Amino acid sequence: MIHSVVHIAQLSLQYAHHVVLDGLNWQIHRGEHWLIGGKSGSGKSALARALAGLEKTSGIVQLFFDNTSPLPPRALYVSNWYQFTNLEGDRNFYYQQRYNKQQKDDTLTVYAELAHYAKAKNLWLEEVEQYLALFDFADLKNTQLIELSSGEHKKLQLIKALWLKPQLLIIDEPYTGLDKSSRKMLNGYFDKLAAAGVHLVLITNDADLPGCINRFAEIEHGRLKQLDSVLDLSKDAGRVQKTLPLFLKEKPNVSAEVMVHMENIHVRYGDKVVLKDISWTIRAGEKWLLQGPNGSGKSTLLSLINGDHPQAYANHIHLFGQRRGSGESIWDIKERLGIISPEIHWYFDKTAKVWQAVASGFYDSIGLFRQPSYDKQQKVNQLLEFFDLTEYKDRVITTLPLGKQRLVLLARTIIKNPPLLILDEPCQGLDHDQTEHFNTVVDELCGFGKTLIYVGHYETHLPSCLEKKMILEKGEVKTIQDITELVY
Amino acid sequence: MANYFNTLPLREQLNQLSVAEFMDISEFADGVSALKGKKIVIVGCGAQGLNQGLNLRDSGLDVSYALRKEAIEQKRDSWKNATDNHFTVGTYEDLIPTADLVSNLTPDKQHSSVIDAVMPLMKMGATLSYSHGFNIVEEGKQIRKDITVIMIAPKCPGSEVRAEYLRGFGVPTLIAVHPENDPQGKGLAEAKAYCVGTGGHKAGVLRSSFVAEVKSDLMGEQTILCGLLQTGSILSFDKMIEKGIEPGYASKLVQYGVEVITEALKQGGITAMMDRLSNVAKIKAFEISEELKAIMRPLFQKHQDDIMSGDFSRTMMEDWANGDKKLLEWRAATGETAFEKTPAGDVKIREQEYFDHAVFMVSYIKAGVELAFETMVEAGIKPESAYYESLHETPLIANTIARKKLFEMNRVISDTAEYGCYLFDHACKPLLADFMKTVDTDIIGKDFNEGKDMAVDNQELIAVNEAIRTHPVEKVGTVLRTAMTAMKAIKTA
Ligand SMILES: NC(=O)c1ccc[n+]([C@@H]2O[C@H](COP(=O)([O-])OP(=O)(O)OC[C@H]3O[C@@H](n4cnc5c(N)ncnc54)[C@H](OP(=O)(O)O)[C@@H]3O)[C@@H](O)[C@H]2O)c1
Repeated sequence: MIHSVVHIAQLSLQYAHHVVLDGLNWQIHRGEHWLIGGKSGSGKSALARALAGLEKTSGIVQLFFDNTSPLPPRALYVSNWYQFTNLEGDRNFYYQQRYNKQQKDDTLTVYAELAHYAKAKNLWLEEVEQYLALFDFADLKNTQLIELSSGEHKKLQLIKALWLKPQLLIIDEPYTGLDKSSRKMLNGYFDKLAAAGVHLVLITNDADLPGCINRFAEIEHGRLKQLDSVLDLSKDAGRVQKTLPLFLKEKPNVSAEVMVHMENIHVRYGDKVVLKDISWTIRAGEKWLLQGPNGSGKSTLLSLINGDHPQAYANHIHLFGQRRGSGESIWDIKERLGIISPEIHWYFDKTAKVWQAVASGFYDSIGLFRQPSYDKQQKVNQLLEFFDLTEYKDRVITTLPLGKQRLVLLARTIIKNPPLLILDEPCQGLDHDQTEHFNTVVDELCGFGKTLIYVGHYETHLPSCLEKKMILEKGEVKTIQDITELVY
Repeated sequence: MANYFNTLPLREQLNQLSVAEFMDISEFADGVSALKGKKIVIVGCGAQGLNQGLNLRDSGLDVSYALRKEAIEQKRDSWKNATDNHFTVGTYEDLIPTADLVSNLTPDKQHSSVIDAVMPLMKMGATLSYSHGFNIVEEGKQIRKDITVIMIAPKCPGSEVRAEYLRGFGVPTLIAVHPENDPQGKGLAEAKAYCVGTGGHKAGVLRSSFVAEVKSDLMGEQTILCGLLQTGSILSFDKMIEKGIEPGYASKLVQYGVEVITEALKQGGITAMMDRLSNVAKIKAFEISEELKAIMRPLFQKHQDDIMSGDFSRTMMEDWANGDKKLLEWRAATGETAFEKTPAGDVKIREQEYFDHAVFMVSYIKAGVELAFETMVEAGIKPESAYYESLHETPLIANTIARKKLFEMNRVISDTAEYGCYLFDHACKPLLADFMKTVDTDIIGKDFNEGKDMAVDNQELIAVNEAIRTHPVEKVGTVLRTAMTAMKAIKTA
């Protein structure tokens, strides 16, 4: 037992009546670094959380720390979803609040948050600089938490984890939302940590792993099943091709040839320039890819299009042929576009059920405030069937695996068959297979005259219908070009 | 200036007090068209000003802000709020003459001087809107006869007004037209359009009058409800300390307890709040609340009488004129209370525990809400108006206490509400002194159910349930909450 780091025996866990872990046994020995992967909903995150003592379980979970090591004798779990609170300590934010400027600080700044963390965990604040540099975060020190993009939140989580260097580091979906270069850097850094005596447990189905990972497993019927390599991980059952519901094959009503026209857009917060001199024209039917490193301004640019950003009123933007700020309401705009983003997901009503969430897409509301007509109800049912979600229709969204949650939000977005679809990192947090599944659906959907803006980091993980791309860097347009098939 | 209400003959007083018509969503079918293309100038860019303006603009209306010179020159927060969100900002002289509608969203205390500065600059036939009618009713401000005077009063803090709008919903809202100032008969159409612009029409709109809004708001939010929660918090805390409950626990039980308890109130009225208790505890709570109501009723009636007669606002305005002497004194005293000074302990309290260990608090809130409602209705205010100013407001106020105790509550509410709060608190505490001597930790601090065999008499329980459920505040509440949450309910059904 002396060389064990973790000893787990007969671990069981239930959510309501659903058995997740069922008498699971697991040993982690010195020098082992684990990958836990496998099907969605198999209990990976639950196990990770149980390992960190965050779940109510039965059975034995023992951690043996090395008292001679300089590293803190503790386990740290980094969740797949970030959280932050306002100054009063609650999470009372609303969607797009970060764009409405109010002269009071709603949340801590990055630096204050880190200072807090340093105090709580007994760390030297000076030391954090090197981690900030790793993730190119130094410029964001004085930014309020609420102003960070989702990719930046992920980085902040990782900065804290790497800085703490706990003897046992458990990270759920470490690569979510990270751009290519951060991801590569992170893997290199994991190897360094491993060499310094940190034991890693990564929860992911990604095959692009740090070299130190030397044990692989998945969960089957609530028990751990060890595998030889990452290639042996089970995959979710492939998607059976279904025909698109008829109402989504109708060519959407397009009121203008040019869907979006922006001229010399500038957005700044105080001294911080977020977008600089951007011009962009999107014609009806075009399929665009929008890329750029974390924090390059992609989400801000999109929020100018979807009516959520007050700075749209101060810029030259035409949407669907009408000048922004000429008497249209944001609901007129939202009616004509469908959007999903990590942010919408984050702010989405935690108590919403699947069927109602999809139906709320007819009204662009978060929460359903009206009884949909019979015709609309039928559409919801058909779409749930198309996405293989019928069996989940009465479930609360947040109890589904992340991949399914995204599909629900996609269904919500397209239920009204909008002419313009904006998919901002729709696959963030999804594994390779889920992503492929998702993108096939996007390809099927976009065949009928829809205009698409798609944001995604990995060239290999994109729908095939994309034809043009724009790359942003530090708030400026770096390139605009056609995508030829061979690009990937 | 004479108190407007007091200048009216009794017949007209009763007439205006009783305006309360719950409007159907179909009455808002014209959307914002009555204000489309018109120039809306908001005076003041604080909690209501900024958030109403953001919503109105996002609804396709033309909004700009007129701020006082100092605010612009010193680039105060109000100036930054408006400019950072890319609104046009100007002085009164720049913007007011161009306005078709001027929305006065400055603090109530400043209304008279703001109107004096703004009114001479207003166009002939323009509209003036308010979110609270104090200036018109209590100060009796006379508005030029060509000007239309309307009110759109969201019954929620400004941040909620924005957050609910962005979700595609809204907050419950009162609208009104001042009968003395509707020369062109356009008041109602514009008030409705404004209300649509803020999203209020989706959450339930009550057609009210300036008089009904002011007399109920003064009684509800501005005096009784804040005062009630303040008194209840202090009495509960002090009792627990006296009886040896650990101070950190006591502080937390009160600070967060008011929010947890009133959350049940918000979702399902007094009935839901009482149903969170066990049967034995419920019967006990019912008895206590009856006793409390009997003790406090004269005080509630006195408050209502003073509000109706105008004495309340007169003495408050005297204090304004006196440099807020009383207000500042009371504020300082509140900061010194033991409850305020004892931080919430690092103890875990389960959600149900907040009910089981605070039967007194539940009884007290029930007593206060019902009394406020009953007293208003007896004074001629319609049940719908009285509901918004009693049961509906209580959880909103309780939220502020959960954040930073009484200090936060008194910071967030207006100066006028703060004044009323202290006034009530100071009269209520001595009134309850004898009663409090009978209170022990079984109803505040410890689990009431502990050591009881939980048996109750059928007949007694039935009678108590019946009394709770058929109280008039429950009847009107059921209807209004349905409208407010609309389809929200089916989500969790
Ligand atoms: N808060 C609520 O929950 C609520 C709910 C419903 C209705 N209301 C009503 O809404 C109105 C506004 O309340 P609020 O809470 O939004 O107030 P607030 O947050 O205190 O904002 C007041 C604004 O008025 C400006 N102001 C203050 N004194 C002024 C003066 N003498 N002349 C010109 N401007 C002045 C302030 O800016 P500068 O100091 O920078 O000039 C500030 O922008 C009140 O009638 C209130 O009863 C409030």
